Amino acid sequence: MTHEIDLEAVVGRFYTSLYRFALSLTKNEAEAGDLTQQTFFILAQRSHQIRDSSKVKCWLFTTLRREFLRALRVQSSHPHVEFRPEIHDGPSISPDALRALDAKAVIDALHQIEPTYRTAVELFYLSELSYKEIAQTLEIPIGTVMSRLSRGKEQLKAILAAAISENSDKIIPLKRDEEAAH
Amino acid sequence: MKKPRTEITNESAKFVLNAYRPNGADAQDPVFRVALEQAARDPELAAWFKEQRSFDSLIADKLAEIQPPANLYSAILAGIANRSPIRRSNLRPLLALAAVLILSGAILLPFYLESLSTSKSIEQYQRANLTMLSSSPAPSLDLVTADFSRTQEYLAEMKAPCIPFLPGSLLDLPTAGCKSLHWKGQEFSLTCFRLPSGELLHVFVIDEKAFRSINVGDKFREMDGWHVKCQRRAGMLLMFVSRASMAEIKQFI
Repeated sequence: MTHEIDLEAVVGRFYTSLYRFALSLTKNEAEAGDLTQQTFFILAQRSHQIRDSSKVKCWLFTTLRREFLRALRVQSSHPHVEFRPEIHDGPSISPDALRALDAKAVIDALHQIEPTYRTAVELFYLSELSYKEIAQTLEIPIGTVMSRLSRGKEQLKAILAAAISENSDKIIPLKRDEEAAH
Repeated sequence: MKKPRTEITNESAKFVLNAYRPNGADAQDPVFRVALEQAARDPELAAWFKEQRSFDSLIADKLAEIQPPANLYSAILAGIANRSPIRRSNLRPLLALAAVLILSGAILLPFYLESLSTSKSIEQYQRANLTMLSSSPAPSLDLVTADFSRTQEYLAEMKAPCIPFLPGSLLDLPTAGCKSLHWKGQEFSLTCFRLPSGELLHVFVIDEKAFRSINVGDKFREMDGWHVKCQRRAGMLLMFVSRASMAEIKQFI
């Protein structure tokens, strides 16, 4: 279906999730703001080329990622990825421990996922894109998206479990001190 | 005839269900149907899926706590305001106007070419702005507000150019206000930001078409006691001017 894009409505609908995605890529609030602005600016320039307004969401995330990569001047090819069998039973994390983490800790954990899997996981959580939309955004087959989500999420669990365990080791045993004082 | 039941291994079901979004938006997607049916039958898979969805929801909720800077929305709208596509309904009058302009252009071309020989240079533009900023009493702003979005709304109303792209570090700075200006028949704008030291950072914006040729460096330079930098963005020429220390300015630009 072809119809004109209401730019202001598109900005209002997507700028928050785009900013979050940009922040996960750059880890820098100022750069994330720049990248988000740049993406919408490109949309304003090229909106007449987008014939199907239902594709705007994928287009925005694709463009933001391209702009990020362009800024990085990534010239190397994709890193070699060792094949490993699928593992779906990673460490179990208690929901209470997860709730105790702040958003920054989760962003940091996302950043530690292997780059090959990371973007698919970020798009899944930050923008709530479907596996089909992630495939379209990253220009990869659907099966590859599922594989990256599967492996990336297992890595995320392992990273978070390690972070939670590290934090819990730092807790000072107050009770023991109190007992010693008495 | 009874429909044959499709079975997949739990490992295959987990592989597929990893892509199932925590908000339930994929409930009607047939790709997940077989895996969901398997989860309904198999308690071990059901437990795994429940735990996975809980994990996914918590991660998505945590990330949803991240909020963009307060001025980002206004900055985006200001940026695209300068480059909004031409609406179809506006084409007819624009075409008529274009025809008039072409005719006028043919008549006025010799005069225009003559005027180019004494054309506006960026140097002249910069000097004019610095003279204005240094004048005593200082020029007054049209609108005094700390709200960046209000400055850009005002400039848009006055048909003056908005800031097409605000460096991310400036998004959190309050503004002092803005002013709509004219220079040799060309509209341009001034938006002033308050730096933490109390000094102002002035941002002039003018359509780059105002100049025959543009050659600006990418660094700040000293002019009449001011730190000055010009930057081309989105068809506009931005001129940053401040008397703050370079160390402070560099934190923001």
